[in-house]
Amino acid sequence: MSPSTILLVLFVLLCVGGVILSCVQAAERTPNIIAWVSGIAAVIVISLGAVSIVNPVPFSAVLWNIPSVGPILLRADPLSGLFLLLTGLVFLAASIFAANALLSLVGHSNARVYAVFHFALFISIVWLLIASDVYSFLIAWELMSILCYLLVSFPRSLPNRTLQPIDAKLLRTSEHQEEPNAKPGYLLLATGEVGALAAAVGLLLLAVGGGSLDFAGLKAAAPSLSESVRWSVFLLTFFGFGVKAGLVPVNFWLPYAYTAAPAAFVPVLAGATLNLGLYGIFRVNADLLPATSAGPGIVALVIGTLSALVGILYATTDNDLKTLLAHSSIENAGVITVSLGAGLIFAAAEKPVLTAIAFLVALYHLTNHSLYKTLLFVGAGTIERSTGTRSLDLLGGLIRRMPWTASAFLAGTLSIAALPPFNGFVSEWLTLQTFLRSAELSSVGTKIVFALCGAGLALTAALAVTCFVKMFAMGFLGVSRSDQAEEAVESGSTALVAMGFLAVLCLLLGVFPTYAIGLLDRVAKPLSHASAASALVPPFFARSPGHTELPGAFASEFHDLGAQIGQSILPGPGLVILHRGGAANPVVFAGAPTYLIVILAALVIVTFLVVRLALAKGRSIRRQPCWDGGILRLLPEMTYTATGFSNPVRVIFQAIFRPTIRENTRQTVAEHFRTAINREREEVHIVERFVLNPFRELAFRFARLVARMHQGRINAYTGYVLLALLCALLLGLFL
Amino acid sequence: MIQWVNRGIRTGIKTTVYPTSPENAAGVTPGLPRGGGHRPEEIQALVGCCPTGAIIGQDNQLSIDYRRCVHCYRCNRQPSETLLWSQDYEWAGANETGDPRRTFGKEFNRSAHILVVDAGDCGACLNEVKQLNNPYYNMHRLGFFFTPTPRHADILVVVGPVTDHMRVALQKTYEAMPHPKKVVAVGACALSGSVFGPSFVSEAGVTKILPVDVEVPGQPPPPLAILHGLLVAVGRRSPAVLFSPATTRQLGKNC
Repeated sequence: MSPSTILLVLFVLLCVGGVILSCVQAAERTPNIIAWVSGIAAVIVISLGAVSIVNPVPFSAVLWNIPSVGPILLRADPLSGLFLLLTGLVFLAASIFAANALLSLVGHSNARVYAVFHFALFISIVWLLIASDVYSFLIAWELMSILCYLLVSFPRSLPNRTLQPIDAKLLRTSEHQEEPNAKPGYLLLATGEVGALAAAVGLLLLAVGGGSLDFAGLKAAAPSLSESVRWSVFLLTFFGFGVKAGLVPVNFWLPYAYTAAPAAFVPVLAGATLNLGLYGIFRVNADLLPATSAGPGIVALVIGTLSALVGILYATTDNDLKTLLAHSSIENAGVITVSLGAGLIFAAAEKPVLTAIAFLVALYHLTNHSLYKTLLFVGAGTIERSTGTRSLDLLGGLIRRMPWTASAFLAGTLSIAALPPFNGFVSEWLTLQTFLRSAELSSVGTKIVFALCGAGLALTAALAVTCFVKMFAMGFLGVSRSDQAEEAVESGSTALVAMGFLAVLCLLLGVFPTYAIGLLDRVAKPLSHASAASALVPPFFARSPGHTELPGAFASEFHDLGAQIGQSILPGPGLVILHRGGAANPVVFAGAPTYLIVILAALVIVTFLVVRLALAKGRSIRRQPCWDGGILRLLPEMTYTATGFSNPVRVIFQAIFRPTIRENTRQTVAEHFRTAINREREEVHIVERFVLNPFRELAFRFARLVARMHQGRINAYTGYVLLALLCALLLGLFL
Repeated sequence: MIQWVNRGIRTGIKTTVYPTSPENAAGVTPGLPRGGGHRPEEIQALVGCCPTGAIIGQDNQLSIDYRRCVHCYRCNRQPSETLLWSQDYEWAGANETGDPRRTFGKEFNRSAHILVVDAGDCGACLNEVKQLNNPYYNMHRLGFFFTPTPRHADILVVVGPVTDHMRVALQKTYEAMPHPKKVVAVGACALSGSVFGPSFVSEAGVTKILPVDVEVPGQPPPPLAILHGLLVAVGRRSPAVLFSPATTRQLGKNC
């Protein structure tokens, strides 16, 4: 038995054991059972993923050979391995956090039901990732979809603290947030089912064309498919899997579902199931059916850019912590899709190294997003638990009440805002660098698309900083703007452990990207048939001197700069990432995040020493409180709110937000003496406005049309039956 | 643009000649009353006509507390006996403390940054302070600059009688300024409370709140008087006396 088999069997046994344990044991123990059993299962999945990435021969097994249908196959190649690894990490954090977050369910019998759903979802996700034939893939997908729905609409107990917000408008929004609502779950289920249907049709189309149901057979048959089949499969699967990934025309469910989901489940939703949509797109469009024309790539590029822009715009202007993070998930999925699209275009243009770089960058960003988004959602959950609110307008000053949560959350915030030395910076920087390489393409039209999408992506990156400065500053800094924020207490140790290890991972992936690139290269290599690692981290850093593809003087210059440092003490390829261009322009860009943090730290220390030893020597320092403009007292009402901070963005992009503003000047003494103005602002998400609402209108119109049939007269109904019978008979006669 | 340059050259320098030589242009100062020998009944009448108690009659001697004068000219329009009004403007008086943290060195001669705090001013004194920035008075040529933050300020210029709402703000501003620092109180309100006096909303003067170094009388003082006050603060002009005659200075303290 191979180690993978043992791990897989262990995992399934643990999950089944967890279900049995939580059903047998007292309900109060359910959170701890989930934390321990699911935590250990997650560690097993992590090792399974790591083994699959590193193992040169993919694990492969036949689960069950159904005589009339064919074998149910399991296969864990490096691509599955990476997603397994991430799923494991996310589930590890979410399971540890569940010990704290699920306490509010204890006392209700539904804590056990939650445990069953949790383990079932874990199994279905792992099955989905190692499924290697169309049948089991679709079954696992459906299972995952339905379990997601069940968990999203899981009844939540309301926070026991009563809300005492500072004004009536805020009261309204926070009450609205806490209302148990069936809409998010139904929207998730309905959209997910439409997506699953499209993906199923796409996969079956591929299977019909390829004459096989298992992925290996499909991959072998792929080159013989016609262009129209390729396009149909691409569009159907891209749309179908895009629903789960939250890409632009079909992501209206995502903010609702993420906001409504229980705190213990949102990390999984954002960190693991969002990845599954991208896994589907990767599996079908990069692995099984590699693009031969630039078209699909351009579609992915444009859709990705639009998703990123729409996501970050709504994230910047939203004041609910969870909804903000949900919109940011859309943005990140967009950024990943952009790199994926670039990879598809490069693959169609037969530039394998560039393809490898683009895929690697997409996977890098995907990894990062899983880590920091899980971290931030765990943070959001613990803040909500501690304060009873998620509204950034009501929070503030939490850094003094919850210092550890704040530091972990800050790590996540810096990562997601793509600031060095954290991981988001590396992947977003590499994404933009990859865009510069589009200059090597021959088609002018493609280059223009690349340039426009690059501009959109740059705007996204800038808005992301605004958004997450707002999130951290309004949540944790300044004065507390409500009683709940004033009385917040530090979150439990479980949440801190979950956030802590993710924060460390975020930092490591940002400081040692060359090692991460080496690992991810194993995943991207089978997709692109070329190694990106030797292009991004050239071997001349490790082996001296020279490199065949680069001028010797050039290589030695990098040696002088210390590019090879680290190879003697660490088992790695050096610490510099080099974006290598063609012969005319050997280096597009070079950078070393590792050195960056060393230099940053050195500068801080030197500044401190200079100020302490040289400037302040022999001088008396008078310490005064910070200059506050001479105000008597600082009230929460006087400080900047989240709404105020993001208002410039709201005004600049008014054409996109299209708010409807109702002004009500009640209590007017006379025309010129208004004592109170009530101003209400309502926004409908741009995707809802252009996609969901017209579709809904159409459906209702059709329903009204059909409803005319129903007049309640028994004669008419008998007539319909007769008519139907006649149609059936006629059909039978002629077919 | 050449026209502008030409016009500028033709116009020449219009900036006041003060402090190099005395400024004699008409209307640069409203003037202040000067005391003198008067008969006791005249003194009685003059004291009675002064609304703010700036004219003090004691021991058949008439003296004037400039910190209270509001330029109402009632003493000038008295039918029987009028007071003489001088047309000078070097009015600022100094209050030497000898505290090293409040003594400017030579470095401040030509570079002093000023923070203006409106402590309940009616707008008149503030307007006159603002005039220092215009081309006619042009205080930059003398090395004075306005600054919006106390962290950069050397001189705190206070206008207004210090209302209760501004008291804490004024104290915080003073404490936020680095040493050495000086306080220049501008206008009768800032010196004595003037027509507002000590009342339920004001403290009647900056001296009750902060240690004042230079006092510029007038309601409002003309810009040249304020400029004189600033020059006194950095030690480039000698201070004037705030009482006429000078020997009765002590009287003002009791009021």
